[in-house]
Amino acid sequence: MSNFLHDIPRHFKEAYHGLLRNIAMTLSSVSAVTVTLVLIAVFTVFAMNISAFTKNMESDTKIHVQIEDVIEESKIPSLQEAVEKIANVSEVTYSDKDAELDAFIEVYGEHGELFESYRGEANPLKRAFIVEVDDGDEIERVTQDITKIPGIESALYGGTNVLAMMDAFNAIRSGGLIFVLCLSALAIFLISNTIKLTITARKDEIAIMRLVGASNGFIRTPFLIEGMFIGLLGALFPILITIFGYGFLYNAFNGVFFSEMFPLIAVDPFVYQLSGLLAFIGVMVGLIGSYISVSRLLWWRR
Amino acid sequence: MIKLENVSKVYKTGTKALNGVSLYINEGEFVYIIGSTGCGKSTLIKILSGEEAPSKGRVNVAGIDLVKIPNRKIPYFRRNVGVVYQDFRLLPKKTVFENIAFALEVVSKPTLYIRQRVREVLKLVDLEDKAKAFPEQISGGQQQRVAIGRAIANKPKVLIADEPTGNLDPEKSEEIIRLLERINKEEKTTILMVTHDKALVEKYKKRTILLDNGFVVADLMEGGYLSRE
Repeated sequence: MSNFLHDIPRHFKEAYHGLLRNIAMTLSSVSAVTVTLVLIAVFTVFAMNISAFTKNMESDTKIHVQIEDVIEESKIPSLQEAVEKIANVSEVTYSDKDAELDAFIEVYGEHGELFESYRGEANPLKRAFIVEVDDGDEIERVTQDITKIPGIESALYGGTNVLAMMDAFNAIRSGGLIFVLCLSALAIFLISNTIKLTITARKDEIAIMRLVGASNGFIRTPFLIEGMFIGLLGALFPILITIFGYGFLYNAFNGVFFSEMFPLIAVDPFVYQLSGLLAFIGVMVGLIGSYISVSRLLWWRR
Repeated sequence: MIKLENVSKVYKTGTKALNGVSLYINEGEFVYIIGSTGCGKSTLIKILSGEEAPSKGRVNVAGIDLVKIPNRKIPYFRRNVGVVYQDFRLLPKKTVFENIAFALEVVSKPTLYIRQRVREVLKLVDLEDKAKAFPEQISGGQQQRVAIGRAIANKPKVLIADEPTGNLDPEKSEEIIRLLERINKEEKTTILMVTHDKALVEKYKKRTILLDNGFVVADLMEGGYLSRE
């Protein structure tokens, strides 16, 4: 370990010389990482906000559970208890026939008064529970579980459209992920080629290093640092775009995407977390790329 | 120090380079390996420096079993064996001092020790006044002395010199031999020198091993070349 620490300045110096030695290839690798990371940044901003939209929509959605008319009023508390016991149910509110009519009238606004005549014995509406869930992803399962309880006529939520939208979003996310993975592979390939050039330029030196007993780790480290530097340099522009670009968009849209239904993720800490992720991906892509090249070099065949 | 028992080497192409070679070289010995082109000298050097593994037999150098040694430990073994080649293999952009220091830097020796040891080596190879010169600014003989200095910087137990005088005129070749003798004596380094130079072998008599077609055909403890070849 002390040897490694002692050698660190030397490794950084070698890595720096390597970057400058093949400046054209270094720049092309940095550009490849930059393009990849810009796309990853755009994709992540998109995907994270979509997730936030769907979460928001789901959390706003309540399940409307209708109770069969044959159920006596005295059985309602036990039925409510059965609903409350279902996993992820956070709140159950009982709504009697009058309350249901009130809600119905409210929906119809000024024309709702017409339905006042149905109040009392003539009210055809069913008693209901308004059920809230603590995790939007579980809403479909909770709805199905409630339907299975005896005495429950139906359980509905405005979820069909949400589910269709979520499916579409998920498909876009999966497609985007494959695209980003392909780009990352390309960036790794380019970095690996840049490192190969550095290795070729230093092949005599490396041969002598091996001759006099330099360990594989000692030979490998400057190349790994060089690869990580390329990755980090490639991450700079995407990080700037993320921080300033997303902040600009957020302000331009006043924090929502056209409607209050689609709130955008707040700038802080989101952009800084995403920047950290981009730097990490850049460094890892560089590390993997250079590791591939240098491992071939250090493969001992006897 | 060096022990080969019934060592054979057959390359993937089917070429038989060594055939049941057995050798015992004691600590502090100075030995010539001679033979015509293709006799197996290069393969022998490659095996002794850990570059190639034998196809058969046992090899032990400086107490290390070169058949059983895992590949990842080869670099550490190499610190016990210095190798010098005919073409010097110096780094042109480094000075004489830096070329020798390089061998110590890459095995992570402390800076102060490196400075001190390089000065010692420069004195031993008689190049103190050329420390700041670049390889292209010095003669072939001096370049070979730098290469020898680099090979012994780590104080190896064994020094293998592969045709170290092959590119030098007779006068410079004798200088190299005398330098190797001094290293052998002062640093107690076991020296194996592969050579074609009959005159040198005759003049500086030492134990001489003659290889032919991958076989050891003679092992002359008292030295000599022409009369026995």
